[in-house]
Amino acid sequence: MEALELYTADVQDDVWTEELKLNLGPQHPSTHGVLRVELKMDGEIITAARSDIGYLHRCAEKIGENVSYLQFTPYTDRMDYLAACNNELAWSLAVEKLLGVEAPERAQWLRVIACELNRIASHLIAFGTYGIDMGANTPFFYAFREREAIMALLERPAGSRMLYNYVRPGGVAHDIDERWLPDVLAFCDEFERRWAEYNQILSTNKIFIARTANVGVLPREMALAWGCTGPVLRGSGVRWDLRRDVPYLWPYGEVEFDVPVGEGTHGTLGDCWDRYWVRMREMIESVRIIRQACARVPSGDFMDKAMARAYKTPVKPPKGEAYMRCENPRGELGFYLVSEGGASPIRCRARGPSFCNLSVLEALLPGCMIADGVAIIGSLDIVLGEVDR
Amino acid sequence: MQALIDFFAAPPFGLQGALALSAAYAVCIGSLLGFITVYAMFAIWMERKVAAHMQVRFGPMETGGWHGWAQSLADAVKLLFKEDLIPAQANKVLFWIAPAVVFCGVFAGFVAIPFAVGVQIADVDLGVFFIIAVAAVEVVGVIMAGWASNSKYSLFGAVREAAQVVSYEVPAAVALLVPILVVGSLRLGDFNAWQEEHGWLVLRNPFLPVAALIFFIASLAGCKRAPFDLPEAESELVSGFHTEYSGMRFSFFFLEEYASMFVSSLLVATLFFGGWTLPFVDVSAAPAPVGVVVLLAKTFFFIFVQMWLRWTLPRLRVDQMMAMGWKYLLPWALLCVVGTAAFEAWGWGWLPLSGG
Repeated sequence: MEALELYTADVQDDVWTEELKLNLGPQHPSTHGVLRVELKMDGEIITAARSDIGYLHRCAEKIGENVSYLQFTPYTDRMDYLAACNNELAWSLAVEKLLGVEAPERAQWLRVIACELNRIASHLIAFGTYGIDMGANTPFFYAFREREAIMALLERPAGSRMLYNYVRPGGVAHDIDERWLPDVLAFCDEFERRWAEYNQILSTNKIFIARTANVGVLPREMALAWGCTGPVLRGSGVRWDLRRDVPYLWPYGEVEFDVPVGEGTHGTLGDCWDRYWVRMREMIESVRIIRQACARVPSGDFMDKAMARAYKTPVKPPKGEAYMRCENPRGELGFYLVSEGGASPIRCRARGPSFCNLSVLEALLPGCMIADGVAIIGSLDIVLGEVDR
Repeated sequence: MQALIDFFAAPPFGLQGALALSAAYAVCIGSLLGFITVYAMFAIWMERKVAAHMQVRFGPMETGGWHGWAQSLADAVKLLFKEDLIPAQANKVLFWIAPAVVFCGVFAGFVAIPFAVGVQIADVDLGVFFIIAVAAVEVVGVIMAGWASNSKYSLFGAVREAAQVVSYEVPAAVALLVPILVVGSLRLGDFNAWQEEHGWLVLRNPFLPVAALIFFIASLAGCKRAPFDLPEAESELVSGFHTEYSGMRFSFFFLEEYASMFVSSLLVATLFFGGWTLPFVDVSAAPAPVGVVVLLAKTFFFIFVQMWLRWTLPRLRVDQMMAMGWKYLLPWALLCVVGTAAFEAWGWGWLPLSGG
């Protein structure tokens, strides 16, 4: 905002310019889906912004109130479609809480591995598309190479490549084959080498740093006040990660990992660079978690026996309500369920991370250049499937 | 050129005066158009291959058999047959002629390019100046295209292009002054002759490599290549000034981009890196085709560097782009001019001095 005031103060008496309304989206290469941002422009500088969402609204929550608890799991995949496993996990945990069951130990660890792999895949997309937003096309292909490997890995137990429907209430859908864990570990070794390459081509690039540092600064207090979560919150220096602070899966309490936060390395704390760099370091932390988890997967059931039987009949949880939240790649995803004892919940609500993170966009954009606007949208890393639901 | 005029004046044609001249010009322009088209198709194929191999892909592999060599040809045919769309709200006349204006500027520049001794259409005394001057016509076409499209993204692209080209013409021209200062001529042929005698200009004194670099960077901006592709800026402005263009009109913008890459790379090769001469090997006595091959090899090396940069670097922001031109390139270019002038005045340098 300061920049804007300075700018208008300077120019007002000098030249008269006409305000231009610019529609960014819903069909635009860098709105990451069908986001529409209405911009008021003064030349290259954005003076006001209004984001318009809802182009991908599919009534996901209403569907949840009309299908059975188990049927809704694949619908959650399609909310944040880049992190399907993590969505399923939040839903499964909420349903389990309502039913009062707990997944067996093997399933818990498999869930951790699947979710962390999915987190890496999701952050890889964030990294690759952020490169494209900045005009660097090559990182995108590098990121997709590794994402492809993750998809091939997750395909083996889950059967599908992107929308897995793998984590289900009561455990996971299928057991892994005996070569899976060694292959995951081999991928981890490979990935760490590739990660260094990413930093060479994008993270340490002078132009990239100049484009992201000091751009879109989200101060700590503002991030907390606007309900930001995930890398957007941590980029502003708040060390808050549900995996560490509220271990919703108990294995997270037993593995060692750091929670990277923004440090203002190249400029102000909470700028686009910090958010980007938090994501990059989180990938490495996920690799650490996967390594420890692979060593601790016990033998046993992969699905709760009672739940496996229940899959043949509609599950009818007792009267009550449950709220479970998980640390998704984009932040906290929470599901709130109210059961009246029927086969489907009478209330089903989701608290989406992208939706809350997107809310700061209107506050961050004024005073920026249009290129910065693209950088800010990219650094918030939204998935419109989950914003609109 | 004179040889062609004589050829048409002699039997079996026996054309007189202006007729012979026109026939010769027609042949020249036709062959230049053919050359640019074939070159652009090759360069586009090359760009796709360079990009693909940098991005762990193969790029076109099927069309035509060997490594997809006919991909550009197929694309050109497709573009030819595409529907000619003009937006309803566009200014039709300007929209219609803008691609032609854009292409004309860079096409005119080709006329003055010496490919080898005698392989040149017009031996212009002010060759360097002429090429730089006509290349600037392109920006007029871009602004026409951006304005006539009646799209805000196109307008943004056109305004950016105007700002960018105007800012980067200055350091480019000043950097060109440096070799001109040494050689004392604006004729492109003289640069080749001088370097044949004294060695590559880029090695002449410490300021010339810097001037070469400045000119190369500034010409990247002039060609709208990354990291200066702001007028097109796919992720910001959709496609910039040619957002609304399709089919053949769009391909003219494409052709222009590759043609101006060629001209700027060729200028770098001719003015700084010895033109058609080689170090250690004396090619002055060799037939003209050898010179052409040497010059084209150097030119394609610099075209490759442009592609390499494009697929490596992110894009600058508008203010950073302007700062780069005015705050860094221009002062350094001026320093190079002053430094080279001093070195020449006192007769210093790393290479043996010219006779004068």
